[in-house]
Amino acid sequence: MPANRRHRSRHGAALAIAAAGALAACGCGASPITSDRIERAVESTFANLVQLQVSRLKITPLASLNLDVIAACRRRAGGAEAGAGEWTCTVRWLGPDRRPLRDTFDVVVTTDACYTAAAEGDQLGGPTLKASDGGEVRNLLYVFEGCFDPT
Amino acid sequence: MTLRGVGTVAAVECSKLAAQFKPRAALAACAAGSFAFAAALRLQTTVPEDTLFGRSAKESGFALSLVVLGFAALWVVPALTSIVAGDLFAAEDRYGTWTMMLARSRARSEVFAGKALVAFGYSALAIAVLAASSIAAGLLIIGPAPLVNLSGVALTPSQALARTAFAWVATLPAALALTAIALLLSIVTRSSAAGIGVPVVGALTMQLCALVDGPQALRTALITTAFDGWHGLLAEPRYYGPLVRGVLASVAYLVVSVGIGYRTLQRRDIAG
Repeated sequence: MPANRRHRSRHGAALAIAAAGALAACGCGASPITSDRIERAVESTFANLVQLQVSRLKITPLASLNLDVIAACRRRAGGAEAGAGEWTCTVRWLGPDRRPLRDTFDVVVTTDACYTAAAEGDQLGGPTLKASDGGEVRNLLYVFEGCFDPT
Repeated sequence: MTLRGVGTVAAVECSKLAAQFKPRAALAACAAGSFAFAAALRLQTTVPEDTLFGRSAKESGFALSLVVLGFAALWVVPALTSIVAGDLFAAEDRYGTWTMMLARSRARSEVFAGKALVAFGYSALAIAVLAASSIAAGLLIIGPAPLVNLSGVALTPSQALARTAFAWVATLPAALALTAIALLLSIVTRSSAAGIGVPVVGALTMQLCALVDGPQALRTALITTAFDGWHGLLAEPRYYGPLVRGVLASVAYLVVSVGIGYRTLQRRDIAG
């Protein structure tokens, strides 16, 4: 084999190894969309939206720390608890007078680590709610969306 | 290669672009499109629910701009960035003007740099026009109400304005990388149809691939994934991981495309 061809093939092999190494370093194969990440995202977004909803409805504010929102999410299809697709999240939280509440959301998670959560049933009200002053406001908890860090 | 030479080529290309209908029409569509969208949204009762911020697009003008951003990244930016870049070099082949151009006292490197400068400048200008018009349309037609971000936190109008503008800026690296690919195709194929069409089809194919929940490394390698980097800027706390990965991937595409394009043009036998 001529020297320059041998040199090129060595270069090619080095590049291939470097590319394979880079892929391995990036965590090839494992989906970054995990139940843990979805739960943390839903918990914080839900807690923030409850506070925002209360202020929009012009009713007595809740103390943020007292909500104690805990989400438990599982894939509807079962199997591995990771990956984009349809999930169900059960959210337990403390409402007014520290009354324990439980709501279930159908959560669609896309491959870009964003999700849309839609409330099951009408426990959280319909798409719109009436504020204390009679005005109609969008129910922020009926359907909400968010994104989380997949890295 | 001298700066003066590059500037001369860029100035000539700018004057050629200014005389063409297609680039001007694209910029005019960028400026008017957001206002038409905002006006239509204001009149209808439904909202684009399947897009991020679509539910609040009628409540906050900043949300409207971000809906436009999400849509533009999918469909508009690939076309906008290649409309000039994909034609700049191929046009010289089409009109047979390479020998005349290189017979002047300009080196090939100056011609390449001048044309590339104009292509990147046009892409940046198109994104800037789209960003400014969507924010203006949102504020004028929908209003400057606080924006509920992707973590359920209401941002004040000034915070929302800063983050929306930053989100638009964050799309620039991917847009410039697509421009570089269009430049490369324009040089290699010598065809405007390929220079404009292939980046658009390629970007749409990458969008389809991104819908598959594949390995993270593969997703990062797709140039279109970089268009999602702005999501982290609208979360609380903000996260920058996807944005940084997207910028690095875009820089890699840009450097490789410009490098191959430059070498191809330098080695081409143009003597007619």
